[in-house]
Amino acid sequence: MNRVSTRLRNSLASKVIVSTVLLSLGVVWLTGSALYSQLSDGVKEVNLESSLAEAKSSFFNAQYQFLLNESAAGPVILKAVQDVIVSSTEVSLNQDRKSIFLNRFGRPFKNPLNVAAPDYSTATDGLDVSTVPDEIRKKVRSSDLVEYEYAKVSYQDRADANVLIVGRKIVIPKSGNYEMYLVYSLNSQNQTLSIIKNALLFTGFALLFLIGLITWLVVRQVVRPVREAASIAQKFTQGDFSQRMKVESSDEISTLGKSFNDMALSIETQISRLENLSRVQQRFVSDVSHELRTPLTTLRMASEVINSQKNSFDPTIARSSELLVAQLDRFEKLLEDLLEVSRLDAEVAVLEPVDFDLISLIERCIEDVRANAHDHAISISIDHETEQAMINADIRRVERIMRNLLSNALDHAEEKPINVTVICTRTEVAVGVRDFGTGIEPLALSRIFDRFWRADPSRARVRGGTGLGLSIALEDARLHNGELDAWGAPGRGAHFVLTLPRIAGQQIGGRPIRPQPEDYPQSI
Amino acid sequence: MTLVMVVDDDQDLAEMLGIVLTGAGIDVDLVSRGDEVLEVFRNNPPDLVLLDVMLPGIDGIEVCKLIRAESMVPIVMLSAKGDTHDIVSGLEAGADDYMVKPFRHPSELIARIRTRLRRTNADVLGLLTIGDLSIDVTAHEVSRGGKKIALTRLEFDLLVALAKEPGRVFTRDALLGEVWGYRHSTDTRLVNVHVQRLRSKVEHDPEHPEIVMTVRGVGYKAGVMGGS
Repeated sequence: MNRVSTRLRNSLASKVIVSTVLLSLGVVWLTGSALYSQLSDGVKEVNLESSLAEAKSSFFNAQYQFLLNESAAGPVILKAVQDVIVSSTEVSLNQDRKSIFLNRFGRPFKNPLNVAAPDYSTATDGLDVSTVPDEIRKKVRSSDLVEYEYAKVSYQDRADANVLIVGRKIVIPKSGNYEMYLVYSLNSQNQTLSIIKNALLFTGFALLFLIGLITWLVVRQVVRPVREAASIAQKFTQGDFSQRMKVESSDEISTLGKSFNDMALSIETQISRLENLSRVQQRFVSDVSHELRTPLTTLRMASEVINSQKNSFDPTIARSSELLVAQLDRFEKLLEDLLEVSRLDAEVAVLEPVDFDLISLIERCIEDVRANAHDHAISISIDHETEQAMINADIRRVERIMRNLLSNALDHAEEKPINVTVICTRTEVAVGVRDFGTGIEPLALSRIFDRFWRADPSRARVRGGTGLGLSIALEDARLHNGELDAWGAPGRGAHFVLTLPRIAGQQIGGRPIRPQPEDYPQSI
Repeated sequence: MTLVMVVDDDQDLAEMLGIVLTGAGIDVDLVSRGDEVLEVFRNNPPDLVLLDVMLPGIDGIEVCKLIRAESMVPIVMLSAKGDTHDIVSGLEAGADDYMVKPFRHPSELIARIRTRLRRTNADVLGLLTIGDLSIDVTAHEVSRGGKKIALTRLEFDLLVALAKEPGRVFTRDALLGEVWGYRHSTDTRLVNVHVQRLRSKVEHDPEHPEIVMTVRGVGYKAGVMGGS
């Protein structure tokens, strides 16, 4: 039921067909009933007229017979009565059966011999006379005209039947006043009517079915292009801009198609123009980065060769060579990050997921980062509930995220310890990197992942980092369908939380580690 | 004296590489065009080729294929591209190792070159078997039923590493340390590509390997004789 109603709501064709059929049902019903009532009235009237005419002639005949034998003897009158009964109930070829009912009423006639007058009251065909309605009997008794009425009467030997009763008062000589009724069965009339009714019903339903069918055909003609347009529009939203509608004729539907195609073309051009622009730009960045690599390699090797001899140099030159090496390091890191950013922007960055243990990776990153840190005194602790945290992810990217988070924490730790927490659930794994150093201003928090954005521009250059690290880390996390959240409060330190799905590309359901640390009250 | 052929179109970088390598006691042959490599290579076969990817004439990947067609000499690719695609196509063309410019330290380059030149597995000598293959470590030969199979030095090292400890499951990291001499590397593509190449040479059916078996989620191990 629900499915049907959903289907109705969702399909234009079903809606149109159902409402057309319902409306047509009303119209067919009305015209059908009108037609039926007219036809049945006609049939009844014809039937009534012929029955009345026949009855009248029967009555006249009876009256005439009795008048003829007014002075005849009893047996002759009896014979006349019998004749009347026989002739009145005679049935012609295509007539229904009919019965006669004679009943004496009022005082019987007196005869000179004072013999009891014979009573010819009778009913033929097993008619149950008590079921003849009183109204007509009253009317017949009190009038000299032919009266009629439709009624339902009972028979002794067959089922009750609807009948037309036609009656008239007649006088039988030497007997008395009689009501004479002719009871016409309406069977054949009813049969005719039911045939008409069935024919009408059949025609009506056939008409409805045909209307439904025609509507369906017509609607399909209209709806098919609409559906096509809808499916093409959907493909369009999914990024397939090559889709076009077929335009075959010059009706409204094809106008829709044409406008749609025009729109599609204009969108496609716009998009490809924009794509081209950004591709050119990204291409440029990537080319520049690549072109810089070869001279940078030469530079680095040269500087290393020079630096390896620094013990034999004059102190200023030795220091200069150290600076040269350090700055080349930084320059290279920047180049590396720029290249990665251009890759991420061009959306050509691909995930290469493998299975590995996140905890041992983090331990290795901590070791490396600490070895490179200027401040070896800072302690980095790692908490993990499980011995291992096996995940499926792009190990290079995860390593880069961890290095970025750890060096960022080291840069801002102000000699206070750093805590790393790893929590592994069934579907996701979270790593929290918490420091208790300078912290982050509320305003800065919203921009912390922006490229080249630095919390404190005046101090930033002293520290390492390219200003791209966190932004790349965020994009790396999102490439896995993961998230990177930051929390910080001035003087209270910062907390960065990386949440990754256990299997790269799946969705993360929640945050096993909340960015807001538990040791920090909700409101201060 | 060891001879390394340096193929790079950037004169300055080539010269610098020359200085660094000579400083480490290695002779250097400088070539600047891809289409000149084969001639120099044939006239004066080097112990190792240091090959840039972007070259005038023929590009580095093509050169790599040409050298592989006639020699099993170790090849280390130099690439300014860190993109996976380029690295993998270099490895598939037959390179044993690759370095992305700019390298961290000249010492790193030297270390890589020395690893590739090292007389491998001096600790194991004699005959080893893996599956239905027999390996003559001393003679540096692999054969199946008396028929020799030609392998590059790196492929040979990889096979020996697996064969000398049958039953041990090697993680990709472990193989990177054992065969390539990397301490910390996360680039397991090197292992994957070389295992594929090795399989294509030694397996009856590389789709269903019996010599170099994959241990799902862990790494690789040596196949057992006559069984899987």
